[in-house]
Amino acid sequence: MEVLTEKNTKQTPSKPPKSMSPWAIARRKFVRNKLAMVSSFFLLTVMIMSFLAPYITTIDITRVNIGQMSLPPSGEHWLGTDKSGRDVFVRLLYGGRVSLTVGIAATALIVVFGTVIGSIAGYFGGVVDSVLMRFTDFILNFPFLVFVIVLNAILFGKLSGVWVLIVVISVLGWGGVARLVRSKILSEKENEYILAAISIGCKPSKVIIKHLLPNVLSTIIVQATILFATMIVAESGLSYLGFGVPTEVPSWGNMLSTSRDPDVMQNMPWTWIPPAVVLTLTILSINFIGEGIKDALNPKSYR
Amino acid sequence: MNKDLDKKVPLLEVRDLETAFKIDGQYHNAVDKVSFTVDRGKIVGVVGESGCGKSVMSLSIMKLLPKGAGEILGGEVIFDGKNIEHLSEKEMNKIRGKDISMIFQEPMTSLNPVFTIGYQIEEVLHNHFNISKQDARNQSIKLLKSVGISRAEQVVNEYPHQLSGGMRQRVMIAMAIACQPKLLIADEPTTALDVTVQAQILDLLKDVQSVNDMAIILITHDLGVVAEICDEVIVMYAGEIVERSDVRSLFKNPKHPYTQQLMNSIPKLDAEEEKLGSIKGIVPSLKEMPRVGCKFANRCPKAMPECTEITPVLAEDEKGHEVSCLLFEASKTEEGTKIT
Repeated sequence: MEVLTEKNTKQTPSKPPKSMSPWAIARRKFVRNKLAMVSSFFLLTVMIMSFLAPYITTIDITRVNIGQMSLPPSGEHWLGTDKSGRDVFVRLLYGGRVSLTVGIAATALIVVFGTVIGSIAGYFGGVVDSVLMRFTDFILNFPFLVFVIVLNAILFGKLSGVWVLIVVISVLGWGGVARLVRSKILSEKENEYILAAISIGCKPSKVIIKHLLPNVLSTIIVQATILFATMIVAESGLSYLGFGVPTEVPSWGNMLSTSRDPDVMQNMPWTWIPPAVVLTLTILSINFIGEGIKDALNPKSYR
Repeated sequence: MNKDLDKKVPLLEVRDLETAFKIDGQYHNAVDKVSFTVDRGKIVGVVGESGCGKSVMSLSIMKLLPKGAGEILGGEVIFDGKNIEHLSEKEMNKIRGKDISMIFQEPMTSLNPVFTIGYQIEEVLHNHFNISKQDARNQSIKLLKSVGISRAEQVVNEYPHQLSGGMRQRVMIAMAIACQPKLLIADEPTTALDVTVQAQILDLLKDVQSVNDMAIILITHDLGVVAEICDEVIVMYAGEIVERSDVRSLFKNPKHPYTQQLMNSIPKLDAEEEKLGSIKGIVPSLKEMPRVGCKFANRCPKAMPECTEITPVLAEDEKGHEVSCLLFEASKTEEGTKIT
């Protein structure tokens, strides 16, 4: 014991005093969080496998093979085949590609749009705030499902199916982020360093981008991870109902929707259990990562 | 030659400045027709209780009042021969930080926590000068050294949370003097610091002032601070200037009952009374402020019946000591009686 403590005390002062930015401190905390690290590893694996699907497998996903319909898992088809004779494992990979693309793209659009609206409303206040926030309320009040169905019908054939879904989800989804960012900006701008920034001659745009946003970024990042999970669920939910990604494109939601057939549900579990499991684990790991980031960015938590 | 001319024109002239807050649709003046001048290279102290409008006044000069809270209703602020009260936000940004800069009360919150010290000082320089990154870095190290930070080379790379309150206030001063402004407004720069550090910061302010030959408006409620470094004093009460004079004459012969009471409330080592003097009551809220008569009348030990009827005006005696109180004949003017 004694040797150990001696060693420790000797080691600490020899390290050069290095200034760590708040981000570096958060990164260190995050790396120490085991659950978050395992989740990140899992998510990364899923992402890499999905996006590199064309390089992992050469099987054509759209080809219907009548000779190999409804086969249980085997050496040739790891997870069996579905009712049209398509390989479930390959579809799972390509499906992940679509589901994750929808999730990432929709999250990015929502975060950018919500942050812009929210920070402008929060910083300028007054009439600008009222107008933007009433607009946000209006968007938040839109019946999501009805709007998705209508827009899908209008845009069908004009835009490729996946992007229609992304645009529709994002257009309706930014309200929450805008409100959150606005409220954070409202409280953050009361700090004296904002007054100080103005008093050294910073323009409003510079105050918002350089001084306010970095200070609310932690909230936005946490919100973005949660949104990412929500967006994947939204895609799956809509696809399951038949309003999401066009049926010929594989996505986790579309794969799950085949289980609406009682025969598939009962007799072919290999076609719907894998997407269900992967979907659940992905969302769970995203949420763990979100929690990890939240902890890491919270100066009051020591893990 | 030119310098003589410069000396005659005051650096800052505030005329009838009026800043009001809108409460229930009615305007209530937080700063009520304040006029004063600041000469080049002078330190002017502004004292008064909390809620006297000191901070609102300084924010009005910089046009930094938060939107929706406080509006400048009238008056002129003439800085260096230019009326800056009508400048647009864009033009104002060119002056802020360059010609007029400001130090705030809370060193703990007036630095942005996510940027390094160096970055924040360099930002001022980049805002106002076309300067390379390396030059700005060298300049900021020099500035930090000039405000008495010894490990300046390391501190530029550190974050605000790694510094103590006193060091942060030094950094704020370094930021404020980065562009060698002509006027520095210090809003209670020492209030949040402990006494030993206070003294150091005051010394530093005085040094910085004499090196750069700038004027300082020092807002404080600490008369001790005023006595230590100011040349002139303005005593404010309820948004008005009640007394104005040079430091010596004010401390020797405080004329306004409010100033006298403020001085009574400073603990003295040789005093025999056991209880420290205090001023009864508090500054009335904006809505309760009397519209006619002396605003201090309800708390004044020397109040006379006429105090609630006649509004006193700021009047100068032969030595340049200005006071606004009916105890002095000069404050009773036609203007005052007309209102009643």
